[in-house]
Amino acid sequence: MFKRMSVLLLVLAVFLMVGCSKPPEVEMSAADTAMQAAKTAESETYAPQAYRMALDTLNAAKAAKQEQDSKFALFRKYGKSKEMFVSAKALMEKAGVDAKAEKERMRAELQSMLADVKMVLDSAQVALDKAPVGKGNKADIELIKNDLAGVNAAYTAAEAEFQAEKFMTCKAKLETVRTRAQAIITEIEAAKAKKSGK
Amino acid sequence: MRVRAVALAISVAGVLIVSCQDPPLSTQQKARYAVDQASEAGSLRYAPVLFRQAEDILTNGQMEMARQNGRLAPFRDYRVADSLFNLAFTLASEAADSTRSRIQNLKSTSIAEKNALKQELSNFRESLDGNLTLFHAERHWTSADLAVSMSEKLIQQGEFYDALATLSEGRRALDRVRDILDEYSESESQSLATWRHWVDATVSASRAKGSVCIVVDKTAHRLYLVRAGRVVHSYDCELGYNSARQKYFAGDGATPEGTYSVTKVRHNGSKYYKALMLNYPNSTDQQRFKQNKTKGVISRYARIGGLIEIHGNGGRSKDWTDGCVALTDKEMEHLMQYVSVGTPVTIVRKSDRWP
Repeated sequence: MFKRMSVLLLVLAVFLMVGCSKPPEVEMSAADTAMQAAKTAESETYAPQAYRMALDTLNAAKAAKQEQDSKFALFRKYGKSKEMFVSAKALMEKAGVDAKAEKERMRAELQSMLADVKMVLDSAQVALDKAPVGKGNKADIELIKNDLAGVNAAYTAAEAEFQAEKFMTCKAKLETVRTRAQAIITEIEAAKAKKSGK
Repeated sequence: MRVRAVALAISVAGVLIVSCQDPPLSTQQKARYAVDQASEAGSLRYAPVLFRQAEDILTNGQMEMARQNGRLAPFRDYRVADSLFNLAFTLASEAADSTRSRIQNLKSTSIAEKNALKQELSNFRESLDGNLTLFHAERHWTSADLAVSMSEKLIQQGEFYDALATLSEGRRALDRVRDILDEYSESESQSLATWRHWVDATVSASRAKGSVCIVVDKTAHRLYLVRAGRVVHSYDCELGYNSARQKYFAGDGATPEGTYSVTKVRHNGSKYYKALMLNYPNSTDQQRFKQNKTKGVISRYARIGGLIEIHGNGGRSKDWTDGCVALTDKEMEHLMQYVSVGTPVTIVRKSDRWP
């Protein structure tokens, strides 16, 4: 009798230990932290698809956990939700990394574009400084000086957009500035030709 | 007794059947799809409050459905989850609609503003081209023109807020052009009486003496040849490249305004075909030059300049000289027949004597 009772208690204890599995609070918290980090890295803007996939996984993990929470303690199993939280955390981290990479790619592209456009502007300034001024092209040169001043101001505005990380606006402004600066160089050549009577 | 037991069994079975609801998966899927559509439409940017609400409610619905899934089948009740999914669907649809309408609105507003500014720029271009060159106005016009080009690119990229901000900068630059033109017209109208007096005095003297005189209207770019008070001929003329003002010093590119006379008639030896040298600077010019130096209007190292002529080599359809008045060689040839040393030459910025 005693032996039978012992076996029964042992089976019950094992059953309780297996049934009362621990909720994956640590994994959920880690996934939430990863989500905040991904948001801080502006994943919603720079890696929207990766972020949405990670968010869906996180929500599904939370739903799976909730389903188990609602069950009678002995029947709860958190293995699946735990795995999902681990996966959501990894996806959130990936979204953060992707966003940072995309932002860096845009930053590098614009930095290079800023340098290129600055070179074009400097070339225009040098060409303007060297342009022989004489009766016949002074008005043209004066107008070009004014144009170049306006274009330089627009370049400064584009630099400010870059600093403020408004990359799309910065790019649009730089493209316009580059086109104008190149047109100015052509105008200077034409003004030079007028002076030399070509 | 048997009938009662059967009835009880049927009732229990009925309760169990009714209680065993299916999870509202199709409603959930519909809500999920609506949220995704809103996200793709750009609701996070253009309808963030509605979009976040839809997202949160969808998550709450999922949690509620999961909670019910965890219960024993007869006790499951998905009505709350179902209504949450429906609410999420409604909010997400509203967010998407609101986003599309906001984008459409912003797009049409920015395109309309861009076109309006472009048209105004074109009108101002005509005003600027029809007048003497105002370089400081040209600079602002260029800034406004750049703003229009930039906004075109931003509109193409769907960056409507930035396009509108850029157009607003362009409008400010154009306002500066307007201010400069207004200020210029005001200053012109104040001086018009003086210029009218100079022209009237010159023409009256010509009439009284039956002699020849020349009047130059800078704004109209016209040179009038007057004999005995009557215009016998008028010519298109070109001026100093910076003639929208009085001449202040050597090299400023302005054609002087005042009453002068021909000091030398050069049929040969001029770099510009033929030339009539004027007595610039006269005493009034010298006095003004000294005053401007004292007031600091011009540099103390500035020189007053000279060698202002009416000469040939014109016909370039723009103001290009350093301050002289240029005619075509043919017209210069014609003018030279009437003019001699001492012929009065009055140069004004604007004259309302002749149309």
